[in-house]
Amino acid sequence: MKRIFSQCVKEIAQFRRDRLTLGLAFLLPFLTLLIFGFAIRLESKDIPLIVQDFDRTNLSSSYIERLYATNQFTPKQWSGGNPARDAIDRGIAKAAVVIPPQFSRDIQAGRNAKVQVLIDATDVNNARVIRGSIQRVTNFFMRDQGLIPDTNIVTPRVRLWFNPGRLESLYIVPGTYGVVLWIFPSLLTAIAMVREKEKGTILQVYASSISATELLLGKGLAYLLIAITEALIVMGLGSIIFHIGIISNPITLLIGTLLFLIDSVSFGLLVGVRSSNQNSAVQIVSLVGFITSLLLSGFIYPLSNIPFPLSLTPNVFPARYYIDITRDAFVRGTGWTGVWFDLLMLAVLGFVFFNVARRLLSRMQISQ
Amino acid sequence: MKYIWQLFDSPLWSLVRKEINQILRNRQLIVLLIVPPTVQLLLYGFALNPDVHNLRLGVIDYANISASRELVSAMTSNHTFNLESVPKSEKDLSRQVEEGKLDVGLIIPPNFPRQLANKSAEIQVFIDGVNANTAGIAANYVNQIIQQYNFSLAQGQISPPVSTEVVFLYNPGLTSSWFFVPGVMGLVLTLIGTLVSAVTVVREKDTGTLEQLLMTPSSNWEILLAKIIPLAFLLMGDVLLALTLGTIVFSLPFRGSFLLFLALSSMYVFVGISLGIMLATICGSQQQVLLTSFFINLPMIQTSGAISPIESMPPLFQFLSLFNPLRHYITIVRGILLKGVGLDVLWLNVLALLGFAVVLLTISVHKFRSQLS
Repeated sequence: MKRIFSQCVKEIAQFRRDRLTLGLAFLLPFLTLLIFGFAIRLESKDIPLIVQDFDRTNLSSSYIERLYATNQFTPKQWSGGNPARDAIDRGIAKAAVVIPPQFSRDIQAGRNAKVQVLIDATDVNNARVIRGSIQRVTNFFMRDQGLIPDTNIVTPRVRLWFNPGRLESLYIVPGTYGVVLWIFPSLLTAIAMVREKEKGTILQVYASSISATELLLGKGLAYLLIAITEALIVMGLGSIIFHIGIISNPITLLIGTLLFLIDSVSFGLLVGVRSSNQNSAVQIVSLVGFITSLLLSGFIYPLSNIPFPLSLTPNVFPARYYIDITRDAFVRGTGWTGVWFDLLMLAVLGFVFFNVARRLLSRMQISQ
Repeated sequence: MKYIWQLFDSPLWSLVRKEINQILRNRQLIVLLIVPPTVQLLLYGFALNPDVHNLRLGVIDYANISASRELVSAMTSNHTFNLESVPKSEKDLSRQVEEGKLDVGLIIPPNFPRQLANKSAEIQVFIDGVNANTAGIAANYVNQIIQQYNFSLAQGQISPPVSTEVVFLYNPGLTSSWFFVPGVMGLVLTLIGTLVSAVTVVREKDTGTLEQLLMTPSSNWEILLAKIIPLAFLLMGDVLLALTLGTIVFSLPFRGSFLLFLALSSMYVFVGISLGIMLATICGSQQQVLLTSFFINLPMIQTSGAISPIESMPPLFQFLSLFNPLRHYITIVRGILLKGVGLDVLWLNVLALLGFAVVLLTISVHKFRSQLS
């Protein structure tokens, strides 16, 4: 126990000496939080829309008025050869509405008036949203003009639970905690572990009486303390900046965070033991870490969208469970009944990671 | 011809050969150039899917008449919602939504038949709003489905006088991987370009061979170019690898000019490499380089529009993204591949990229030289 502790103290002393690393260790997670929290917005607002009106009647201009009245579209002008197509090609507009010359005459004659809508579909998500809003506006316009009778026999009373205002930060920020606390603690730990190998000081460790478990526990404990500090900074500032507060029993969040940080540090130890130099350690952490926490964790898009064989993999990634826990603590607020399984999985995964790292290291120790 | 022979005789050429040998001996680098791009491209292409479907729906149908059953089947008919459970009570339903077992709850009240006869029926829909984006889209779907259901109820109705004819340009099938793959191409080039170039320079600094190099009669430009050229070729290999994978696995279209694509990609490769070399000249150790490249790459990727659209970012971030070379490169790749546009449309992005290449290269040469003194 004493040896573990002194290993831990040594590790922290070493960490403190490297100013740049120290700065980056605390600045990077915070910066990542800011960028994710502010810049990731999936919902489109202010979509640039160009309207080409060949009809130029009162009816067509009131249709255009309706389009812009939604506040979802901002008007754009372009005078090229074929304004609608040109503006989309150039990225000036994301969509174009072309009103045909016969528009009002067709309507008055009871014929079907076809409004052409061109949508830039490079961004698929956006394209769907744009189509939906234009169709909704068109329906509204028809009812407003008395062109179709009110057919609203059944009206749905839609209520969004937990996030009634659909604040995207409330969705993104708790997820970001999972990404940040998965990548940075493991990165720092892996680099520290590998550096020992690169510098050859690991040989001294092998020769000393300290066992693999003790070494890993000492190092792990030191970086766990650093990780806890990172977590406090990120969550504290995140809550202040994005106005997000814990709404359930904080115990699940506390235990979950601790377990998750243990997972993260153990993963770092594992990568550090496995790789032979810093470069490859960083590569592994950034590749594996980013993919497991960003893509296969349900952070941005729901896990249910991942196709079948690939959809099995998130089950072994801690970030997936932790994001469940943070979203529960900050948004949903169910507490124990909602997250007990996630907590259990975090504990199991942490145990597995640490033990694999220990096995690998002690195997090396014997071969020396 | 004479000039070509001269080139092969020059010290630059021998330096390039030395770098190539070093790279070829470095197995890890080769693996680094092949494995991460492949894995990332495939995962982003397959796993990132903004579609909203298979939402778990719980239904309580107190009315249980044919009209209400029709409504339920209208909800579940196109795989946006899957009927997951039929809870006994509202309390049951709300518990299941709270525990995250259901995404959507639908309650058809007992007086639904009577309300229907009065043409003013109301149903209740709960949506789990934890995922704000999905919830918003799901709410829209619910409204659309009900609207259609209403149309079908009001029979003998004339068809709506105005109809919208929607054409999806560039991606008619709305394949989400077409959006992600060009972004990931840029992303991979940035990550690997900066990291590989930074590490090759720093390692030479660590081992002290950089000083030997600087003492040779070759000029700084030559030493740097010798480092850049082989890396640039390897990274262009990455570009082609990604493009091949994209077209084969995700049937990504290539609508523009291939030559223009190659030219602009190589320009971006230079930007990435110069960024890496600049980092290497600033930092003292490998650890610092690796951490600072993280520091730079993360915001670069996030504000580039690779994953989330730039138009939905707050104005400040939209403005900042103009200073992000990756943003311009991704616009270029999407423009050439998906839209099939040329220089007449992309010239501003090309100009920006060129600016970055010149500025970064100049700074890194300058920094590199100042290390001498």
